[in-house]
Amino acid sequence: MNREPYVIALSNAMTEIKKAYPDIKNSFIFTKNGTIITGDQETDEKIINNILESFQNLKEKAKAIGNLKSFHITAKNGKLTLSKIKDMHLLLATSKHADKNHIYSITHVIIPTILKTLETFAPTHLQFTPPKKLVVDTLGRFFAGDSVQIDAEILRNWTKNIDPRARVKATITGEENTQESIDQVQIETFGGNAVVCKVKEINDQNLKGKNMIRIPEKLCKTLEINKGDLVTVKPAL
Amino acid sequence: MLVNNSKTDDTENGNEKIQEKLQDIKDQEGIIGYILRGSKKASIDLKDPTKIIDYAVLSSAAFDAGHNMTEALQMGEVETIVVESEETKLLSMNINNHRLSLFMEKSVDHNKLYKNLK
Repeated sequence: MNREPYVIALSNAMTEIKKAYPDIKNSFIFTKNGTIITGDQETDEKIINNILESFQNLKEKAKAIGNLKSFHITAKNGKLTLSKIKDMHLLLATSKHADKNHIYSITHVIIPTILKTLETFAPTHLQFTPPKKLVVDTLGRFFAGDSVQIDAEILRNWTKNIDPRARVKATITGEENTQESIDQVQIETFGGNAVVCKVKEINDQNLKGKNMIRIPEKLCKTLEINKGDLVTVKPAL
Repeated sequence: MLVNNSKTDDTENGNEKIQEKLQDIKDQEGIIGYILRGSKKASIDLKDPTKIIDYAVLSSAAFDAGHNMTEALQMGEVETIVVESEETKLLSMNINNHRLSLFMEKSVDHNKLYKNLK
Protein backbone atom coordinates (compact mmCIF):
# COMPACT_ATOMS: atom_id res chain seq x y z
CA MET A 1 0.00 0.00 0.00
CA ASN A 2 1.26 3.47 -0.87
CA ARG A 3 1.92 5.57 2.26
CA GLU A 4 2.99 8.62 0.31
CA PRO A 5 -0.31 10.59 0.08
CA TYR A 6 -0.85 10.46 3.84
CA VAL A 7 2.69 11.33 4.74
CA ILE A 8 2.66 14.20 2.24
CA ALA A 9 -0.65 15.48 3.61
CA LEU A 10 0.61 15.44 7.19
CA SER A 11 3.98 16.87 6.22
CA ASN A 12 2.35 19.74 4.31
CA ALA A 13 0.04 20.41 7.22
CA MET A 14 2.98 20.61 9.63
CA THR A 15 4.84 22.97 7.29
CA GLU A 16 1.83 25.27 7.03
CA ILE A 17 1.27 25.20 10.79
CA LYS A 18 4.90 26.18 11.30
CA LYS A 19 4.47 29.09 8.90
CA ALA A 20 1.35 30.24 10.70
CA TYR A 21 2.92 29.88 14.14
CA PRO A 22 6.53 31.07 13.93
CA ASP A 23 7.00 30.24 17.61
CA ILE A 24 7.25 26.57 16.63
CA LYS A 25 10.92 25.62 16.30
CA ASN A 26 10.73 21.85 15.89
CA SER A 27 7.87 19.48 15.23
CA PHE A 28 7.36 15.87 14.33
CA ILE A 29 4.78 13.10 14.51
CA PHE A 30 5.52 9.51 15.41
CA THR A 31 3.59 6.34 16.18
CA LYS A 32 3.20 4.69 19.57
CA ASN A 33 5.92 2.25 18.49
CA GLY A 34 8.33 5.08 17.69
CA THR A 35 8.05 5.09 13.89
CA ILE A 36 8.53 8.65 12.61
CA ILE A 37 5.75 9.66 10.22
CA THR A 38 6.76 13.19 9.45
CA GLY A 39 9.02 15.86 10.84
CA ASP A 40 10.31 19.32 10.00
CA GLN A 41 13.30 19.61 7.71
CA GLU A 42 15.45 21.46 10.24
CA THR A 43 15.51 18.77 12.92
CA ASP A 44 18.30 16.28 12.45
CA GLU A 45 17.20 12.62 12.37
CA LYS A 46 19.76 11.76 15.02
CA ILE A 47 18.20 14.32 17.37
CA ILE A 48 14.72 12.96 16.68
CA ASN A 49 15.87 9.41 17.43
CA ASN A 50 17.50 10.61 20.63
CA ILE A 51 14.26 12.24 21.75
CA LEU A 52 12.22 9.18 20.78
CA GLU A 53 14.47 6.92 22.84
CA SER A 54 14.01 9.13 25.92
CA PHE A 55 10.29 9.32 25.34
CA GLN A 56 9.83 5.54 24.95
CA ASN A 57 11.66 5.03 28.24
CA LEU A 58 9.51 7.62 30.00
CA LYS A 59 6.33 6.17 28.51
CA GLU A 60 7.20 2.77 29.92
CA LYS A 61 7.87 4.15 33.41
CA ALA A 62 4.77 6.38 33.29
CA LYS A 63 2.59 3.25 33.39
CA ALA A 64 2.90 3.67 37.17
CA ILE A 65 0.34 6.50 36.87
CA GLY A 66 -1.62 5.10 33.89
CA ASN A 67 -1.20 5.60 30.15
CA LEU A 68 0.83 8.66 29.28
CA LYS A 69 -1.29 11.34 27.61
CA SER A 70 1.04 14.30 27.45
CA PHE A 71 4.45 15.50 28.49
CA HIS A 72 5.50 19.14 28.90
CA ILE A 73 8.85 20.71 29.61
CA THR A 74 9.44 24.36 30.34
CA ALA A 75 13.11 25.21 29.94
CA LYS A 76 15.13 28.40 30.09
CA ASN A 77 14.95 28.96 26.31
CA GLY A 78 11.80 27.21 25.24
CA LYS A 79 8.93 24.83 25.80
CA LEU A 80 8.38 21.30 24.64
CA THR A 81 4.94 19.70 24.34
CA LEU A 82 4.41 16.06 23.53
CA SER A 83 0.77 15.07 23.06
CA LYS A 84 -0.94 11.79 22.32
CA ILE A 85 -3.32 12.13 19.38
CA LYS A 86 -5.22 8.90 18.83
CA ASP A 87 -2.48 6.31 18.34
CA MET A 88 0.18 8.86 17.49
CA HIS A 89 2.31 11.42 19.27
CA LEU A 90 2.98 14.98 18.24
CA LEU A 91 6.03 16.81 19.51
CA LEU A 92 6.20 20.59 19.38
CA ALA A 93 9.20 22.56 20.56
CA THR A 94 8.40 26.25 20.80
CA SER A 95 9.88 29.47 22.05
CA LYS A 96 9.33 30.06 25.73
CA HIS A 97 6.63 32.67 25.24
CA ALA A 98 4.60 30.73 22.68
CA ASP A 99 0.86 31.23 23.15
CA LYS A 100 -0.60 28.38 25.22
CA ASN A 101 -3.88 28.63 23.31
CA HIS A 102 -2.09 28.25 19.98
CA ILE A 103 -0.34 25.10 21.15
CA TYR A 104 -3.63 23.78 22.49
CA SER A 105 -5.43 24.42 19.22
CA ILE A 106 -2.68 22.64 17.25
CA THR A 107 -2.59 19.56 19.49
CA HIS A 108 -6.31 19.33 20.22
CA VAL A 109 -7.99 20.74 17.12
CA ILE A 110 -5.85 21.13 14.00
CA ILE A 111 -3.86 17.88 13.90
CA PRO A 112 -6.78 15.69 15.10
CA THR A 113 -8.98 17.30 12.41
CA ILE A 114 -6.40 16.57 9.71
CA LEU A 115 -6.16 12.95 10.81
CA LYS A 116 -9.95 12.68 10.86
CA THR A 117 -10.12 14.22 7.38
CA LEU A 118 -7.68 11.64 6.05
CA GLU A 119 -9.88 8.93 7.49
CA THR A 120 -13.01 10.51 5.99
CA PHE A 121 -11.42 10.57 2.54
CA ALA A 122 -10.78 6.87 2.66
CA PRO A 123 -14.29 5.51 1.92
CA THR A 124 -14.91 7.77 -1.09
CA HIS A 125 -11.50 8.05 -2.69
CA LEU A 126 -9.31 5.34 -1.38
CA GLN A 127 -11.41 2.34 -0.48
CA PHE A 128 -10.86 -0.57 -2.79
CA THR A 129 -12.29 -3.97 -2.01
CA PRO A 130 -12.22 -5.77 -5.35
CA PRO A 131 -15.03 -8.27 -5.96
CA LYS A 132 -13.87 -11.73 -6.92
CA LYS A 133 -15.11 -14.04 -9.62
CA LEU A 134 -15.16 -17.50 -8.10
CA VAL A 135 -16.05 -20.97 -9.39
CA VAL A 136 -18.95 -22.64 -7.60
CA ASP A 137 -18.51 -25.92 -5.82
CA THR A 138 -21.51 -27.36 -4.03
CA LEU A 139 -21.60 -28.40 -0.42
CA GLY A 140 -23.51 -31.72 -0.18
CA ARG A 141 -27.03 -32.19 1.09
CA PHE A 142 -25.67 -33.54 4.39
CA PHE A 143 -23.99 -30.22 5.07
CA ALA A 144 -26.05 -28.73 7.87
CA GLY A 145 -24.71 -25.15 7.92
CA ASP A 146 -25.85 -22.17 5.86
CA SER A 147 -22.42 -20.56 5.40
CA VAL A 148 -20.45 -20.48 2.17
CA GLN A 149 -16.73 -21.23 2.18
CA ILE A 150 -14.00 -19.15 0.57
CA ASP A 151 -10.23 -19.35 0.46
CA ALA A 152 -8.66 -17.85 3.61
CA GLU A 153 -6.23 -15.82 1.49
CA ILE A 154 -9.10 -13.96 -0.25
CA LEU A 155 -10.74 -13.18 3.10
CA ARG A 156 -7.44 -11.86 4.47
CA ASN A 157 -6.95 -9.56 1.47
CA TRP A 158 -10.46 -8.18 1.83
CA THR A 159 -9.95 -7.65 5.55
CA LYS A 160 -6.87 -5.54 4.87
CA ASN A 161 -8.85 -3.29 2.55
CA ILE A 162 -12.25 -3.10 4.07
CA ASP A 163 -12.18 -0.75 7.06
CA PRO A 164 -11.08 2.68 5.86
CA ARG A 165 -10.24 3.87 9.35
CA ALA A 166 -8.13 0.84 10.13
CA ARG A 167 -6.62 0.96 6.66
CA VAL A 168 -5.70 4.64 6.83
CA LYS A 169 -4.21 4.09 10.25
CA ALA A 170 -2.21 1.13 9.02
CA THR A 171 -1.15 3.10 5.97
CA ILE A 172 0.01 6.13 7.94
CA THR A 173 1.76 4.19 10.62
CA GLY A 174 3.07 1.40 8.43
CA GLU A 175 1.86 -0.97 11.10
CA GLU A 176 -0.26 -4.06 10.60
CA ASN A 177 -4.00 -3.71 10.13
CA THR A 178 -5.64 -5.60 12.96
CA GLN A 179 -9.21 -5.41 11.62
CA GLU A 180 -11.26 -8.46 12.56
CA SER A 181 -12.29 -11.04 9.95
CA ILE A 182 -15.16 -10.71 7.46
CA ASP A 183 -18.35 -12.46 8.55
CA GLN A 184 -20.60 -12.05 5.51
CA VAL A 185 -20.30 -11.89 1.73
CA GLN A 186 -22.57 -10.87 -1.10
CA ILE A 187 -22.86 -13.39 -3.93
CA GLU A 188 -24.17 -12.32 -7.32
CA THR A 189 -24.86 -14.64 -10.22
CA PHE A 190 -24.66 -13.78 -13.92
CA GLY A 191 -28.41 -14.27 -14.02
CA GLY A 192 -28.76 -11.31 -11.67
CA ASN A 193 -29.66 -13.21 -8.49
CA ALA A 194 -27.97 -12.01 -5.34
CA VAL A 195 -27.78 -13.05 -1.73
CA VAL A 196 -25.90 -12.08 1.41
CA CYS A 197 -24.75 -14.99 3.54
CA LYS A 198 -22.30 -15.98 6.21
CA VAL A 199 -18.81 -16.95 5.16
CA LYS A 200 -16.11 -19.23 6.53
CA GLU A 201 -12.71 -20.36 5.34
CA ILE A 202 -12.53 -23.43 3.10
CA ASN A 203 -11.76 -26.37 5.33
CA ASP A 204 -10.92 -28.90 2.59
CA GLN A 205 -7.14 -28.72 2.03
CA ASN A 206 -7.49 -29.96 -1.59
CA LEU A 207 -9.69 -26.99 -2.56
CA LYS A 208 -7.53 -24.22 -1.11
CA GLY A 209 -6.01 -21.68 -3.51
CA LYS A 210 -8.27 -22.74 -6.42
CA ASN A 211 -10.46 -19.61 -6.63
CA MET A 212 -13.51 -21.55 -5.51
CA ILE A 213 -16.57 -20.80 -3.47
CA ARG A 214 -18.33 -23.70 -1.78
CA ILE A 215 -22.06 -23.04 -1.56
CA PRO A 216 -24.65 -25.27 0.18
CA GLU A 217 -26.88 -27.05 -2.37
CA LYS A 218 -30.00 -25.39 -1.00
CA LEU A 219 -28.52 -21.95 -1.60
CA CYS A 220 -27.38 -23.00 -5.11
CA LYS A 221 -30.98 -23.79 -5.93
CA THR A 222 -32.14 -20.42 -4.63
CA LEU A 223 -29.53 -18.67 -6.76
CA GLU A 224 -30.24 -20.94 -9.75
CA ILE A 225 -26.60 -21.92 -10.14
CA ASN A 226 -24.74 -25.20 -10.52
CA LYS A 227 -21.30 -26.57 -9.78
CA GLY A 228 -18.71 -24.97 -12.13
CA ASP A 229 -20.64 -21.72 -12.66
CA LEU A 230 -18.94 -18.37 -12.06
CA VAL A 231 -20.28 -15.98 -9.45
CA THR A 232 -19.15 -12.56 -8.28
CA VAL A 233 -18.39 -12.37 -4.56
CA LYS A 234 -17.59 -9.35 -2.40
CA PRO A 235 -17.57 -8.57 1.31
CA ALA A 236 -20.95 -7.50 2.69
CA LEU A 237 -20.54 -4.22 4.58
CA MET B 1 35.22 29.83 55.29
CA LEU B 2 32.65 32.19 56.66
CA VAL B 3 31.15 32.59 53.21
CA ASN B 4 30.89 28.82 52.87
CA ASN B 5 29.12 28.53 56.20
CA SER B 6 26.75 31.25 55.25
CA LYS B 7 25.97 29.47 51.98
CA THR B 8 25.31 26.22 53.83
CA ASP B 9 23.02 28.04 56.22
CA ASP B 10 21.12 29.57 53.32
CA THR B 11 20.69 26.17 51.68
CA GLU B 12 19.57 24.59 54.94
CA ASN B 13 17.10 27.41 55.53
CA GLY B 14 15.87 27.03 51.98
CA ASN B 15 15.39 23.29 52.44
CA GLU B 16 13.49 23.81 55.67
CA LYS B 17 11.19 26.25 53.91
CA ILE B 18 10.57 23.75 51.10
CA GLN B 19 9.83 21.02 53.63
CA GLU B 20 7.35 23.31 55.36
CA LYS B 21 5.66 24.17 52.08
CA LEU B 22 5.51 20.49 51.11
CA GLN B 23 3.87 19.63 54.43
CA ASP B 24 1.15 22.16 53.62
CA ILE B 25 0.81 21.05 50.02
CA LYS B 26 0.54 17.33 50.80
CA ASP B 27 -2.64 17.92 52.80
CA GLN B 28 -4.32 19.76 49.94
CA GLU B 29 -7.09 18.05 48.02
CA GLY B 30 -5.91 15.92 45.11
CA ILE B 31 -2.26 15.66 46.20
CA ILE B 32 -0.99 12.08 46.08
CA GLY B 33 2.43 12.75 47.54
CA TYR B 34 5.97 13.88 46.80
CA ILE B 35 9.57 12.74 46.44
CA LEU B 36 12.29 15.24 47.31
CA ARG B 37 15.75 13.98 46.48
CA GLY B 38 19.04 15.62 47.42
CA SER B 39 22.56 14.40 46.84
CA LYS B 40 22.72 12.62 50.20
CA LYS B 41 19.16 11.99 51.32
CA ALA B 42 15.60 11.85 50.09
CA SER B 43 12.22 12.60 51.67
CA ILE B 44 9.28 10.61 50.41
CA ASP B 45 5.68 11.06 51.42
CA LEU B 46 3.12 9.15 49.37
CA LYS B 47 -0.45 8.25 50.29
CA ASP B 48 0.10 4.74 48.94
CA PRO B 49 3.50 3.48 50.19
CA THR B 50 3.35 0.42 47.90
CA LYS B 51 3.97 2.76 44.97
CA ILE B 52 7.21 4.25 46.28
CA ILE B 53 9.51 2.34 43.93
CA ASP B 54 7.38 2.83 40.79
CA TYR B 55 6.97 6.55 41.51
CA ALA B 56 10.67 7.00 42.28
CA VAL B 57 11.57 5.29 38.97
CA LEU B 58 9.07 7.49 37.10
CA SER B 59 10.43 10.63 38.77
CA SER B 60 13.95 9.72 37.73
CA ALA B 61 12.81 8.90 34.15
CA ALA B 62 11.03 12.27 33.91
CA PHE B 63 14.20 14.16 34.90
CA ASP B 64 16.29 12.07 32.48
CA ALA B 65 13.84 12.65 29.61
CA GLY B 66 13.66 16.35 30.40
CA HIS B 67 17.43 16.66 30.44
CA ASN B 68 17.98 14.61 27.25
CA MET B 69 15.27 16.36 25.23
CA THR B 70 16.17 19.90 26.19
CA GLU B 71 19.83 19.18 25.55
CA ALA B 72 19.05 17.65 22.13
CA LEU B 73 16.96 20.69 21.17
CA GLN B 74 19.26 23.21 22.87
CA MET B 75 16.52 24.61 25.05
CA GLY B 76 18.64 25.37 28.07
CA GLU B 77 18.14 24.41 31.69
CA VAL B 78 14.91 22.64 32.64
CA GLU B 79 12.52 24.59 34.85
CA THR B 80 9.52 22.28 35.09
CA ILE B 81 8.45 18.91 33.73
CA VAL B 82 4.83 17.77 33.69
CA VAL B 83 3.85 14.19 32.89
CA GLU B 84 0.11 13.57 32.48
CA SER B 85 -1.89 10.36 32.33
CA GLU B 86 -5.68 10.08 32.17
CA GLU B 87 -6.19 10.69 35.89
CA THR B 88 -2.86 11.54 37.43
CA LYS B 89 -0.04 13.97 36.79
CA LEU B 90 3.46 14.59 37.97
CA LEU B 91 5.18 17.95 38.36
CA SER B 92 8.97 17.76 38.57
CA MET B 93 11.42 20.58 39.13
CA ASN B 94 14.87 21.37 40.50
CA ILE B 95 14.72 23.38 43.67
CA ASN B 96 17.64 24.28 45.98
CA ASN B 97 19.82 21.59 44.37
CA HIS B 98 17.09 19.06 45.11
CA ARG B 99 14.92 17.17 42.67
CA LEU B 100 11.28 17.51 43.60
CA SER B 101 8.49 15.40 42.10
CA LEU B 102 4.93 16.11 43.16
CA PHE B 103 2.24 13.57 42.28
CA MET B 104 -1.33 14.78 42.06
CA GLU B 105 -4.75 14.20 40.56
CA LYS B 106 -5.24 15.71 37.13
CA SER B 107 -7.65 18.36 38.36
CA VAL B 108 -5.02 20.03 40.57
CA ASP B 109 -3.57 23.29 39.23
CA HIS B 110 0.15 22.47 39.00
CA ASN B 111 1.05 26.03 37.92
CA LYS B 112 -0.25 27.31 41.24
CA LEU B 113 1.87 24.75 43.10
CA TYR B 114 4.93 25.69 41.04
CA LYS B 115 4.49 29.38 41.87
CA ASN B 116 4.13 28.52 45.54
CA LEU B 117 7.32 26.41 45.58
CA LYS B 118 9.47 28.61 43.34
